[in-house]
Amino acid sequence: MAEVKKYEEPRIGVFVCHCGTNIAGSIDIKAVMEYASTLPNVVIADDYQYMCSTPGQNKIGEAIEEQKLTGVVVAACSPRLHEPTFRAATKEGGLNPFRFEMANIREQNSWVHMHQPEEATDKAKDAVRIAVAKASLLEDLIPKSVPVERAAMVVGGGVGGMQAALDLASAGIKTYLVEKEPSIGGKMSQLDKTFPTLDCSQCILTPKMVDVYRHENIELLTYTEVEAVEGYIGNFDVTLRKKARGVMTPDEATERGIIGGGCNGCGDCEDVCPVIRPNPFELGMSPMKAIYIYHAQVSPLIYTIDFDSCVKCGLCVDVCGDKKAIELDAQDTFETVKVGTIVLATGYDIFPVEEKHEWGYKNYDNVITSLEFERLICASGPTGGHLIRPSDGATPKKVGFVLCAGSRDNTGVGKPYCSRFCCMYSLKHAHQIIEKIPGAVPYIFYMDIRSFGKMYEEFYYRIQDEGAKFIRGRVANIQEDPVTKNLHINTEDTLLGRPIDVEVDMVVLAAAVQPAAETEATRRLFGVSCSQDGWLLEAHPKLNPCGTTTAGVYLAGVCQGPKDIPDTVAQAEGAASAASIPIHRGEVELEPYFAVCIEDICAGCGMCINLCPYQALALVEKDGRTVMQVTEAKCKGCGTCGGFCPGGAIRMQHFTTPQIVAQIDAFLLGGEQ
Amino acid sequence: MAVKKDYKDQTLAERLRDRKYYVPDSNPEFVKEVEKIGQTPAHMCFQCGTCTGSCPSAPRSTYRIRLFMRKINLGLEEEILTDPDLWLCTTCYSCTDRCPRDLAPTDAIMAMRNLAARRDIVPRNFLKTAQAIYASGHGVPNNDANRAARVKLGLDAEPDTTHKYPEYLEGIRKIMDHYGLKERADKILAEEG
Repeated sequence: MAEVKKYEEPRIGVFVCHCGTNIAGSIDIKAVMEYASTLPNVVIADDYQYMCSTPGQNKIGEAIEEQKLTGVVVAACSPRLHEPTFRAATKEGGLNPFRFEMANIREQNSWVHMHQPEEATDKAKDAVRIAVAKASLLEDLIPKSVPVERAAMVVGGGVGGMQAALDLASAGIKTYLVEKEPSIGGKMSQLDKTFPTLDCSQCILTPKMVDVYRHENIELLTYTEVEAVEGYIGNFDVTLRKKARGVMTPDEATERGIIGGGCNGCGDCEDVCPVIRPNPFELGMSPMKAIYIYHAQVSPLIYTIDFDSCVKCGLCVDVCGDKKAIELDAQDTFETVKVGTIVLATGYDIFPVEEKHEWGYKNYDNVITSLEFERLICASGPTGGHLIRPSDGATPKKVGFVLCAGSRDNTGVGKPYCSRFCCMYSLKHAHQIIEKIPGAVPYIFYMDIRSFGKMYEEFYYRIQDEGAKFIRGRVANIQEDPVTKNLHINTEDTLLGRPIDVEVDMVVLAAAVQPAAETEATRRLFGVSCSQDGWLLEAHPKLNPCGTTTAGVYLAGVCQGPKDIPDTVAQAEGAASAASIPIHRGEVELEPYFAVCIEDICAGCGMCINLCPYQALALVEKDGRTVMQVTEAKCKGCGTCGGFCPGGAIRMQHFTTPQIVAQIDAFLLGGEQ
Repeated sequence: MAVKKDYKDQTLAERLRDRKYYVPDSNPEFVKEVEKIGQTPAHMCFQCGTCTGSCPSAPRSTYRIRLFMRKINLGLEEEILTDPDLWLCTTCYSCTDRCPRDLAPTDAIMAMRNLAARRDIVPRNFLKTAQAIYASGHGVPNNDANRAARVKLGLDAEPDTTHKYPEYLEGIRKIMDHYGLKERADKILAEEG
């Protein structure tokens, strides 16, 4: 424990920031400063253009020394932005960093009251007075260091999760890669080609899948879901549900004493299985057995039984023979692993575009989604790569591509955001039909072509040159010719200024994307926030796009917002790097905002124990009495116990009752004592 | 196909005409023809509007070069070739200088004027100009006011063109006759009466 200084009288310094004209433009800085100097305990009030600059910070250090300050107040921006800066300056000046209080007169004042300078100045005075009241009662606090478990977890095995896992593992960190499906690969494994390079998606993805499978530091946990999460940065205990696969891996078989057994992916079981159901990997466009793999390149190559449809006839068990890989009575199992940091890469789903009735998806046979198009044009897909019309199996010659199908839509049915990769894959689709079908004409209906990435605009140029027809106008509705099953696309050609009717053989809807179905439950388990549209919330949109407000949890890929493959991989590498930092440091400092039991007053009633959302409290015997004890590393300082304790025996550090009461008094009494 | 309705009143019929664009009403080969004659890849136009913004004719008329580029790509052949606006381009080439996709909209317009001329669709002023060139070697022949001004400036009354050397007029006529320009101008103007 470091030395705790004792002070007799509070001596507070107040520093008011202009922030250029951000604050000074509407708040009278001089008036606020003069007012501050009249407040009790204030011994110095100063101002500066930019308090966060080096000269600004130096002012704090000099004042602490010269004026023997016991507390520092900076009236500036949000503590989320510069609290760490000014805490460091306070520490530099020789005070405990927690003897600093910030008054937000920018985000909560000058920016919202830009045209009311008088009222804004009054409000700034209030904020400063409240901060001074708290600063007068601040105490020295010592942050607690906790060791960090040398392991990480990545949730989601798409291209983002795979990349994050590979980077973490290659940095020497044991990494658990958790994937809910039987194989890793995610959405990217369903794609045929990738823009703008036209690389075959599987060809560039499968080497990575193999790397993940083979990496000595990666423990691949497919067909597994996160069940519960406990703990905090450095020490997460994650309970995993390993769903009953019904098929043993060779390792699992060896563990059970079946030497040389376990699934080798031969597929004999699939041949004999009598149950046929739609293949979700092919979006229901091809059949699949109850014992299955999604496609030939799955990793790991282990069959899985769908126990919802399996009739337990036992034919597969017989044909598997001595390998004894199949267990028809398998049950879900649970495993808890300890990790230091976590990367979430839970991905996305396609928006149910049938909810936009005007385009007739699921009503008209020849209206399909882009992901269905990917499977139909893919050589390993249900049609062997021959694009066909669902109505009659004919090859379409004229194909309409409807962009923003559910994106940029504020009706409440669609999504208000841009899904960001639809423009580019639709250009790619146009290229693919021109390339594969002689004489085919793609009509692209767009509002804007957002070809923002490297070599994307060049790709757009190329596709236009190849003969794609571009019609600027959002598709109003689609009507089916009941006889030919052709489709009439109606919109305005906004560049011509006239309504337009284009008859096509097939329509491909570039449907919006939305967070994966499990995202909501998963984010709650990890205590991560989301924005209004459901995407997981980054700590800062510009300066901390991979982090979250939960220490030790990071984001990669589309779960944070729509992004294409290059951006997903880049963010995954960023998230992996961020997640490896605490592990490599070996320990993290926790903010000392935890609850403290005042044992002399604690009656040992135990009411607080069950109220704690973080299981941080326990009753213990001490000197013959029962008292409450806080596990500081688990406590998040939420204040639930402190607010409830009938005896007032729980102190919330940095938010003590006297400190909060002083703030309220300072506000209500307007500075009167 | 455009829906036709039978109105007795022809003014009303015109006013209520179905103006929706239907793909079968267009000529998908038209853009190729324009590109062949104009030697510019008109299909690469992405409708930014730099051309109309640069056009000296646009602020003073209904001439919209961007709209012509759009109509080329939609194959609206009939509409373009019968549009009097086609002849409002001054061929200043500002649009061509500034086009970000490096197209030559001016040349596309010239190509379409050629196609219109093949159908005898040419405004009177252009035909009269053709006749004037045939007669004098000049679209705007010299006149007395001009001659006086030239003399005042110390120049010869006639410039060093066919006006001074009428023996070269024969060559100009030969070129025009080769393309049947005068003959066609005479014919169209005679038909118009």
